[in-house]
Amino acid sequence: MKALAEYIARELVENPEAVEVREKYQRGRLRLEMRVAKPDMGRIIGKHGRVANAIRVLLRVAGERRGKRVTLDILEP
Amino acid sequence: MVNQPSLEVIAPSIEEALARGLAELGVTADAVTMEVLDPGSRGFLGFGARQVRIRLTLKPPEETVMGRMQRQAQEPEAVDEEPAAEAAPAQDEPQDDTPAEPVDETADQVREVVETLLRLMDIRYQEVRVKRGERDNDLVYVDIEGKDLNILIGRRAEVLNAFQYIVSLIIGKRLQRWVQVVVDVQGYRKRRERSLQLLAQRMADQAVKTGRRQMLEPMPANERRIIHLALRHREDVETLSVGDEPHRKVTIAPRR
Repeated sequence: MKALAEYIARELVENPEAVEVREKYQRGRLRLEMRVAKPDMGRIIGKHGRVANAIRVLLRVAGERRGKRVTLDILEP
Repeated sequence: MVNQPSLEVIAPSIEEALARGLAELGVTADAVTMEVLDPGSRGFLGFGARQVRIRLTLKPPEETVMGRMQRQAQEPEAVDEEPAAEAAPAQDEPQDDTPAEPVDETADQVREVVETLLRLMDIRYQEVRVKRGERDNDLVYVDIEGKDLNILIGRRAEVLNAFQYIVSLIIGKRLQRWVQVVVDVQGYRKRRERSLQLLAQRMADQAVKTGRRQMLEPMPANERRIIHLALRHREDVETLSVGDEPHRKVTIAPRR
């Protein structure tokens, strides 16, 4: 799950080395916290959050495969 | 004189209206002419603010990406197609007999990205087929074959569209140019396109018969585009998209 989020993010940003994803488990939920370089925030979020939401959709499907619920938060670096 | 299809878009700004209209028609700015019907107004303290209204008219299809795409998308067995009004000969789907390109970097990259995403998503597939648009090198079709891939389509193709969007973005970033990637799973888009075309004709007939505007279900931009295109040659109706994403829907009105 983390690998999926990292792969997509690294492909889309200008600073792939700055992409960092942390996994946190909260009551059976997997929470992914993603940090990217500040100038890359827009690329990961997209207009009206379109990119972030597409990533969330794919994470949800990947989570369903493993019986997990996944949330993705994109945090300020 | 062929009446080129046009689309009216209402949005807070001209840029946004243009972007929306282009997304809906599935074309780039060079494929349309824009007419500002109402430049809108900011109003005063939010009172009396009016949105911008523009009309986009498609240039004749043979010059545009969409013309190429549409011809490629046409299925040979289509029954209720009106005789093509454009002079250009209809193109068949690119088949396996298209001359093999020596090195196809774009297709290789698309395949690699699609396979990597599927692997990371734990989705098992049998085959990923990648083919280029026959005339348009920056159009790539991907077909994913396998069993139990409904999970990759999702409700109203939500997952498939997200997957396609991410693949397009990654490819665009890698190649530093916009490549349109169309991802299909087990022929889903083809079947959906067919049923949307039938729906469009049925609703258009209904609009003419009752003299009333027909409102379709909310649809994503690519599906609305299929409706607009299906009715572009019908002189008796006109189509218009209304509402905001993700609830934007096509209306079909009788033309007087």
